[in-house]
Amino acid sequence: MEQDLELVKRCLAGENSAWEALLRAHTSKVYNLCYRFTGSSTHAEDLTQEVFIKIYQTLKSFDAAQGAFTTWLSRITRNHLVDHYRRTKKDRVTDSIEDKVERVEERPSASLDPLAELESREVRELLQAALALLSPDMREAVILRDLQELDYQEITQVLGVPEGTVKSRINRGRLELARIIKRMKGMKG
Amino acid sequence: MNHLDAVNQISEYLENQLGLATQAEMEAHFTTCAECREMAEGVREVMELCQAAEPLQPSPWLISKIIQATTGQRQPSWWERLLGSIRPVLQPRVVYGISMAVFSISFILHAANVNIRSLTLRDLNPGTWAYRANSKGHLLVARAEKYYYDLRVVYEIQNRLRELRNDQDEPKPETPKKASPGGAQGRSRNGSTELAEIPGFNRFSTRMSAADVLSMWSKRSLPR
Ligand SMILES: [Zn+2]
Repeated sequence: MEQDLELVKRCLAGENSAWEALLRAHTSKVYNLCYRFTGSSTHAEDLTQEVFIKIYQTLKSFDAAQGAFTTWLSRITRNHLVDHYRRTKKDRVTDSIEDKVERVEERPSASLDPLAELESREVRELLQAALALLSPDMREAVILRDLQELDYQEITQVLGVPEGTVKSRINRGRLELARIIKRMKGMKG
Repeated sequence: MNHLDAVNQISEYLENQLGLATQAEMEAHFTTCAECREMAEGVREVMELCQAAEPLQPSPWLISKIIQATTGQRQPSWWERLLGSIRPVLQPRVVYGISMAVFSISFILHAANVNIRSLTLRDLNPGTWAYRANSKGHLLVARAEKYYYDLRVVYEIQNRLRELRNDQDEPKPETPKKASPGGAQGRSRNGSTELAEIPGFNRFSTRMSAADVLSMWSKRSLPR
């Protein structure tokens, strides 16, 4: 946290190496948040790049008194994802749970490694397909809590909603995910 | 605790975020409500599934792309860095020197008949190298000589065939001529010597005596 603050200061002083260090420290986290939200590595990379361009342009508006750099970063990423979601909303109207299950099954599991690799791949795809079926509100709350491992307080700051709402979304999101995954497993046999 | 309250607090219960009293109330409810038990089990599975999901790695050039898009500076890729680190080595003079050294060594090893994959103690002795290179040189000369004589034999045979054709074209008695190097009598008019086309080909074996063939081959004094 201290380190982030130091890097931000050096960035603002025009040190390119500090910006690179900041990128190396946080690109993976932003990318994962984007990937979990979109389910596409190509989209996730594009979005990650867009997020960091935004960060670069607005870095001087970061206020350490308001919270950690990672929280600020998550909030900007999340807002960008919401914008992206609104822009592309119409593309996903036809998505159904059956489609998702088919897509999970269609993909060839051409793993060189045995069982472990296959399992982790299946888990990843199952989880990703199930996440995509959640409403965006619940999806982002669950992703931030269970995949990005933010605490309730941080999620409150990122989403800009009361803590009670965060708790409720996470709980409903997990319950919904459990139902979806149960159905998917049932459909797969 | 009623059913709805229990449902709403399942996540907090599983994360141990409720006070001791509420935690106990939840457990008491679970003993009587199968639906809540099942839901809690499902939520626990979801949380475990998320924990088991490993973070994904973006492509290695993503950071370079972002740097280029923000600071405008192009970051060298890993192979460009690698190339940069060996660039001083890639001066023309150095490259020329290295390639000449490699060429010379491979030439010497080839001449000395050294097989790198199965080196023997003898292979390390320069005396052996000189001996082998010497004998290899002789062998090369011998091969060139053999090639030359082979060409001569073919030439002789061609000459004989042409003579046969001429015999056919001008039917008059004649005696088989001795093969003579450079002897170009009786060249066929069109120059073609396809065996099947030659009418007198069947007589070839009788016309060309065993002695002729032997005399031709005896000239090949081949050192083997
Ligand atoms: Zn209940």
